[in-house]
Formats: sequence, structure tokens, C-alpha cells
Amino acid sequence: MVPTEEKDALREFAASLKSVPTRVLETAFRTGTPNTDRSRSTFVFGNVFLHLHSVRTHRWSLRWTTTMGLGIMSVSAFLIALVTGVLLMFYYKPYPEAAYQSIKDIHFVVPTGRLIRNLHRWSANIMVIAVILHMARAFYTAAYRRPREYNWLIGIGLLVVTLGLSFTGYLLPWDQLAYWAITIGANIAQSPREVTDALNLTDYFDPGGMQRLLLLGSDQVGAEALIRFHLLHVMILPLAIAALMGVHFWRIRKDGGMVRPADADALLTARPAESVTPVFNEAPVKTYQLAAIVRGRSAAVGRGQENTVPSMPHLFYAELGVLMVTLLACLALSLYSDAPLKELANPSIPENPAKAPWYFLGLQEMVSFSAFMGGVGIPAIVLIGLALIPYLDRETEGTGKWFGGPGGWPLVRFSALLGLGVPIILEAAVIRFGWLREWFPHIPQLIITAINPGTILTLIYALFSMWCIRRYQSTRAGALALFTCFLAGFIVLTIIGTYFRGPNWVFYWSPSDWPKH
Amino acid sequence: MKKNKYLLLFASLSVLALLTGAAIQENFLKDWRRIQVQGQTDDGPIAVQLRQVVNNNLGVADRCVSCHVSMAPGEQSVRGAPLLVAHKPVVHDPADYGCTVCHGGQGQATEKLDAHGDVHFWPEPMLDKATLYAGCGTCHVALHVPEQSRLQKASLAFERLDCYACHRVDGKGGTLRPDQGGMEGPNLSRVGATAFDSEWYPKHLAKSAAATAGPWKTAFRTIAAEDLPLLGDFLQTRVAASQLVAAKSTFFSSGCLGCHKVSGVGGDAGPDLTKAGFKDPGLVSFEHVPGDGSIKNWMAEHFRAPASVVAGSLMPPAPLSDKEIDQLTFFTLSLRRKDLGDLYLPKDRIRAVKFGEREFATDGATLYGAFCAGCHGRDGQGRRLPGLVSFPSIANPDYLAIAPDALLAKTVELGRPGRRMPGWLKPDGLRAEEMKTVVAYIRTLGATEMEEDPKPARWVTAAPIAGKRIFASACAGCHGPDAKGAEGPALNNPVLLDAATDTFLVETVARGRKGTAMASFLEPSPVRSALTRADIESVVAYLRSLQGGKS
Repeated sequence: MVPTEEKDALREFAASLKSVPTRVLETAFRTGTPNTDRSRSTFVFGNVFLHLHSVRTHRWSLRWTTTMGLGIMSVSAFLIALVTGVLLMFYYKPYPEAAYQSIKDIHFVVPTGRLIRNLHRWSANIMVIAVILHMARAFYTAAYRRPREYNWLIGIGLLVVTLGLSFTGYLLPWDQLAYWAITIGANIAQSPREVTDALNLTDYFDPGGMQRLLLLGSDQVGAEALIRFHLLHVMILPLAIAALMGVHFWRIRKDGGMVRPADADALLTARPAESVTPVFNEAPVKTYQLAAIVRGRSAAVGRGQENTVPSMPHLFYAELGVLMVTLLACLALSLYSDAPLKELANPSIPENPAKAPWYFLGLQEMVSFSAFMGGVGIPAIVLIGLALIPYLDRETEGTGKWFGGPGGWPLVRFSALLGLGVPIILEAAVIRFGWLREWFPHIPQLIITAINPGTILTLIYALFSMWCIRRYQSTRAGALALFTCFLAGFIVLTIIGTYFRGPNWVFYWSPSDWPKH
Repeated sequence: MKKNKYLLLFASLSVLALLTGAAIQENFLKDWRRIQVQGQTDDGPIAVQLRQVVNNNLGVADRCVSCHVSMAPGEQSVRGAPLLVAHKPVVHDPADYGCTVCHGGQGQATEKLDAHGDVHFWPEPMLDKATLYAGCGTCHVALHVPEQSRLQKASLAFERLDCYACHRVDGKGGTLRPDQGGMEGPNLSRVGATAFDSEWYPKHLAKSAAATAGPWKTAFRTIAAEDLPLLGDFLQTRVAASQLVAAKSTFFSSGCLGCHKVSGVGGDAGPDLTKAGFKDPGLVSFEHVPGDGSIKNWMAEHFRAPASVVAGSLMPPAPLSDKEIDQLTFFTLSLRRKDLGDLYLPKDRIRAVKFGEREFATDGATLYGAFCAGCHGRDGQGRRLPGLVSFPSIANPDYLAIAPDALLAKTVELGRPGRRMPGWLKPDGLRAEEMKTVVAYIRTLGATEMEEDPKPARWVTAAPIAGKRIFASACAGCHGPDAKGAEGPALNNPVLLDAATDTFLVETVARGRKGTAMASFLEPSPVRSALTRADIESVVAYLRSLQGGKS
């Protein structure tokens, strides 16, 4: 009796062993191969990583021109920076001198260390660019409108944290470039002193000095600042951005997916042939109306699902595609150009010109006119203005369309020209003729704080925006004008700060004209 | 929607291609791999792998041998590429000591430019051919090096007395003669480092007397008594790095130790030079340095014009020839003394560190050259340089004729507190007998003995009140109000007033110092009338009143 039973158990064991790979897959995905609409849906919402997506995606969202993949590009860049950053942490030592030596080791000795560090640097830069462009996309397609107002605010938070991540990472190599860029950054944080000094208040009330002290943990960039920046860079800010990103994505689904025009279904051409977009159908066991519980005018409520496709695989092809394109760009740039590493930081030899990271050079350019307005005043006005946009523009015209709304593309085009032209003319005049300080050497600083090229530029932009609101009888038109102007001004000032400012922040046509250093 | 699929496909394939390329680059195209695949021994091709010499005692992990394979431990026989040649035989086996200890460069790097330090911002580039021997300074110090002229005399004596007939020194002499021998004497290139028999001369004499033929009879002659110490100096400084010794001799002729310390000996005014050879070219300003961005060039320019290279430098520019500048640069580059464990501490370093032997010879000329010449000039003629307080002419006969030895000795011992002249009576300064030697040497510099002075040290009895008025009109222009010093020396200095006799002070004013800005005040000048001896005495009385309660 025993032998037969033994034989059966053994056979069973062999069969189980044989089916292990299939079973592992089955238990991992639970739904089996996602080859029917139903199994694809369960595949998405049954997966902890994928369930941030809705199970079906509107075809409008998958058009390249809808988002240009900029949001996913930002996330992809973040993921690349995350992975390479964790790898770098194995070798990086956050102490002055040791930090510099460890970067040298990573660059020269650690296998693939140079590539990893280059990837980290390039992905960080691409992330900053992608986040800014992503914001511009969301603005120009009026994606911030109801019900996505709050997600726009989270987006602004993400922009700030992204810049913070990039800025804190800048100090870590502890070379001259890092040291003096952070010194500039810390001085920008201290810029409210310009006003308190002028009012003789600094002794009693010194928010600028406080900010700088909080940032550096000391009165100059040193070991304390390094450990602070390191902690912010590898722990606090990544956690913050991860949390914000989670909310940002979750709200996309809850707010009804990507923004699209009211007439998106009509605009989309007829359903593509089955051969182009194979849609696997299965006789519905029951009707899946997951989207029905989503509040508001969302994707599928009362409108059927005819223009949606299963997220698995269509959306994931697109997302993975953008991820790989981003990785490709980072990789190509990393192989082409090394991340800079200058000499060891030396507090007694200032870099001249000492420049902040590139995305702050527009600010630095304005700081050269007035530290307070350039470093704190105007950025605060811009951030508050950005945050207010969804609450001031309550129109509906043009939602989901590029440059949608009154004025449209012609207005944006004109605003872009104006936004580029005014700062160029203003800068040319200042470079040629100087400003109040050159004309009236004893003028009180407060007047310069109030009246300088930065504030005048802001004022011109604001007046133009007001005029647009009147001219088109539309807040959206004013917002289009203002946003475009600021974007153009940011570009002009950043380019001037990056390429045309030499030692002592003097204008030079080219670095080759700089005095010999 | 298919295009998303193709986008994914295209991007993924491209990433894969780039990663493959990077992997190929990393695993096949690295310089050291390409060199190693050519390597052959008698047993066949060598294994392609990262090679290194690790020596924890010296703190090296040198991967240089990944390319220079034949210099790796046990791989001397590897051939096959032009680079694959064994190191020429040296005392320090590279397989043990590593490469960067002597040559500098970046031992951890595995690519040529990075390893040789020819990249921007690498602080420690490889020493080039011309400065190769500066690497010796990482561990070694050459002891008892005399100043330039004595070193030259010593080497000329060795040549003049034809010691080269039998001995080989630094690749010179001791020739082989067909059928007649040659190289009879031992090679003396390293006797300074290894030690030699101090009784060599009597033994030579005895052997020569006993010999009937051969070089002992024909090539050896008696040596004059004054030449023997010169030969001693020459032999003591033979450490197989004659370039380094010559450079060090120039260093000891230029008075650098007056302000700078090397291994704990010297002044405090300037930076410690013990590790100056490791100066990071990234950390100095090349703004006013013509030529290339190497630290060698920076140092050379710095010796030519210190204050224009380092803003605010108080280092007096020395009148140096180009050769001397090269030598000083070379010597400064050689100041790269690493802290070594006992295992690797060389004999000469032990003698210097643990037994207090001097790196400089202790004759007057060398002591003066090493400590005083930077400010007072090599001949003691003093120096006046724009922007700097003038340095007194201490070999001036007018000075030496009236300055008692006690004044000279006190001045050397205690210096001038508050002024640039440091006191040398300190643990890291001069020793008592060395100070005596220096004072005696200063006398010989001016070739002037002190005149008989029958008077006691303090004899002036005039009233200081009048002297104060005269001082204000006649002296304060150079010596400053209240004698605090200006362009001229400070006269209220306690060490000066304590050690100077009244005769010295009176006679200084009366005679002046010829060749300096100090004229005789007994003679009228276009800008002031002459002083009488009584006037001078009251000025001295005034100076004495600045001394405070002490006489």
C-alpha cells in the first residue's frame, strides 16, 4: 500500500516543481496573462505600482502632442537620479576634503563610477528642464482648471522641491564650483537684509541672516552646511518629493485623467482599425464602471468607453517609451560629457565670477540689480502668481487645447516677442548706461530696491497682462500673456547670466574676452 | 498608438546599444587592457587584469603597473609593447615601494592623463624629467649641506686632487683602462647616506707608502690640510642625488630659514615649507603668472617676484640667477616630507629627526646663508626694497667697528621684538654654539674688528629734554616719531637699548653708516645743520629715557 502512495506523491511533487515558474507568475499577477480587457483591468488595479493609473486611458491622452510626455519625463529623470544617487551614496563621504576625495575616487577608480555620476548629474538637469516644461504644458493647455486646481498647487510644490534637490546636490562635491555657487545661493537667502539694513532694523529683526544661518548652520559654507545639504539632498527632499509625487499622480486619476477638450471625442478620428489598435474584447461578465465613482465630469461617466483603450498595455508602452527616451538622453549626454569637478573648495580664493547653478542665474542676474527684489521679492511674486492662476481663471474656453482661450496662439506669440524684447532692451540699456547707483552715487538703497530693472520688468509684464485682460475681457488672456512673458524673461535673464557675465558680473560678449585668470 | 510601441522599442534598443558600448569601452578598450593583451612572457600571454602595488606603510595603492606591467612585482620579464620595460635597477624596488612615492601623480587612476596628473585640478602631478629627483625628498633629507660656494669649492677640491682617478661619483670618474685596471676605489656616490670611514686619509697614506707600483704609488699624493675638510664636506653630501644637494645648497645660501620652517627648524614669519612640494596648483592663483599652469612655473615666478604672484606677500625678492631660481623651485618641489612609519624611515631622516643632526653644515657661512641672507643679503650689505622696512647692513664696517660682540650676540639671540627680526634663541632656532659661529662670521663679513672702547657701557650724562627736541627734528624723519621706527630701524627697541653701549649709539650718529641712508650727523647736509657731539649725547640720553626704568 505504501509504495503506490509514495509514487503518487513523488509524481505530484515533480509536477509541482515543473509548474513553479508558471505558478510564480500567476501568483505575482493574480490575473493570469493580461490578454483580455478584463484581465488587463485587474492587472492594473491589482498591482500596487500600477493602480495609480486608471484601468482605461482615453485615446486623447495618448496623443504625443497632448502632454509630450513631459510629466513622465520628469518622473523618469527622478527615478534615474534616485537609482544613481543611491549608488553614489555607497562611496560618497559627506565631510569636507573627504567629500572631494570620494568624488575623485568615484570619478577615477570606482568601476563605472564616472558614468553613474554623469548620469546623476544629467538626469538632475533634465529633471529641472522637464519640470519647467511640464508646468508650461499644463498652463498652456489650461489643465489647471477645475477640477485640477489643487493638483496645480502640488505641481508648484514639486517644482520648488525639484529646484531644492538640485541646489542641495550642487554643494556635495565640495569643489570650488560647488562652494562658491552655494555661497551665492546662501547670500541670496540673506538678501532681505538689504531692506532691513536700509531701515536700520537688522540688529533687531534679521530674517535674511536667519535664513542664511538656517541654511548653512554656520556663518559660512563649511562642514555644517555640507552635512545639512547632504541630509536634505538624500533624505528630506527625496521623501518630500516622493510624497508629493504620489499625491500628484493619484489626483490625476481622481480628477478624471489627462485634461482634454470638451469635444475631444469628436476631434479624434474614427476608431483606428482593429489591426492598428487591437482591442481584446471578451463578453462582459458584468459591466465594469469603475470610473463611475469618480466625481465630476470625468472620463467615462455617461459617455461610454468607445474612445478609451486599456491602460495595459497602451499607456504603459507610452510611459515606458518616455522613460527609455529619457534614459537614452541621459546616457548619451553622460557618455559625451563628464560632470565637472574643479579644484578642492578653498574659502580664501573666491571664484570670479562665482555663479549659482544655471537655473538660478536668472535670479542672480536680478540680484545684481537688487539682492532683495531679485532673490526674494520677484520670485515670491512669481510663485504666488502661479499659485493664484487656477483660482483667478475660472473660464472654460479652450480647456485641453494648446494655447486655448481668448487670444490664443497669436496672443502667446506676441507676448513671447514682448517678453523676450523688453528684458533684452532693458539689459542693453543698463549695460550701456548704468543704473541709478551710477548716476546718483548717494541715492538711498531703498529706492534702488524699489526701482531697478527687475522690478521695472515685472511691472511692464504686469501692465501688459492687465491690458490683455481688458482687451480680451478674459482673465485667461491676461494669464497667457503674463506666463509667456515671465517664461521669456526667465530665458533671457538665464542666458545673459550664463553666457554674458564675467568676472565681477561685468558684461562680456564671450568668455574669451574675460581678463586672464 | 502603435508609435508608442515603436518609441519604446527604439529607445530601449538605443539604450541597450549605448550601454553595450559603454560596457565594451569599460571592459575592452581601456588603455591598460589594450597594453596588457600585448604582454608576453616565456610562458605565453599574461592575464589581463588590474594590477597594483599596495604598500600600507607608505600609503600607496598604485595602479600604474596596470599599464607599466613590467614594473609590477614579479613581472619584470613581461615584454611585447614599447611600454613594457622593466624599471632600471634602483635602490628602492618599485615592486615594494610603489611608483607615486617617488614620481608623484595619481596612483589610483587607471587612465594615462589622470594617472600622470596631466588633468586639470589634480593636485599632485607627476614630477617631470627635470625634477625627477625632487621625489627623493618624500622620505630623505640630505644632511650637512654647506652653502653654495663651499659646496662648489668642495667638489672642485675633489676634482683638483684627482680623486676621480680611482673613485666613481655620480656617474663620473673611476674609468676602466684596458689592461691597466681602473675603478680601483669604491664608488662614492652614496657614502653620505651610508657613512664612510673617518680615518680614510691616514689609511690612504699608509697604503700609498706601502705600495710599490700601481695607482696607489702613481695616482695618490698627500693632501693639504685645508683641503681635507672640503673633501669631508663633499663626501658627506654624496647621497646619489647631486642635483638635490646642489639645490639644497642654494636654499641654504638664500636665507629662506629666516622666515620659513623646514622640519621644525626656521623662522615663523612665512608658511612652513616642510610639505611645500605638495602645493596644490588648484589652490593658488595663476592670475599674475605668465606661462603654463604648473606648480613648478608658479614657484619659479613666485621666486622672481613674490608680491606680484601672492598679493600682500612680505617675502623680499632675492637677486637670483635663472639657475638659482630653477634650483630653489626644484628644492621646494622636493619638500614633500611624508610622515613615515619607523619601518620606512631612512637613516638620514632618523639622524635628523631623532639625533638632531642638522641638514645644513654648521660653519658660519652656511648658518648665515641659511638664516640671515634672505633679509641682510648674502654679503651682509643690507637691503632696501620698496614697500618693505629696510633691512640693516650688518657687515657695514662703520657698524662692526663700534658694535661690541655682546650687541651682535644679543641681537641674534633675542631679535627685535615687534619687528621682522626674530630672536634665534628658541628650540626651533639656532643652538648656542651656532649663534657664536654666526656672530664670528658676521665679523669676518665686514672684515672689521671692534675698536678699543675704554669707556663703560653707560657714560652719557646729558639731559634727555634737549635730545627729544633734536631727535624730533633730525632723526624722526627716518626713525619715526618717538623712535618707533619708520623706514629706518626702531630705536626704542628694548633689546637694542639694553645691549647697545653709549659709545655705540654716539658713534653711530657721529659717523653714520657709509653706503646707507644714515649719514654722519657731524657733517651738515643740504636739509639740516650739523649736530655737535653734545647734541648727539643728548639724543642718546633721550633714547635711554625711552628704555624705561632699567639702565
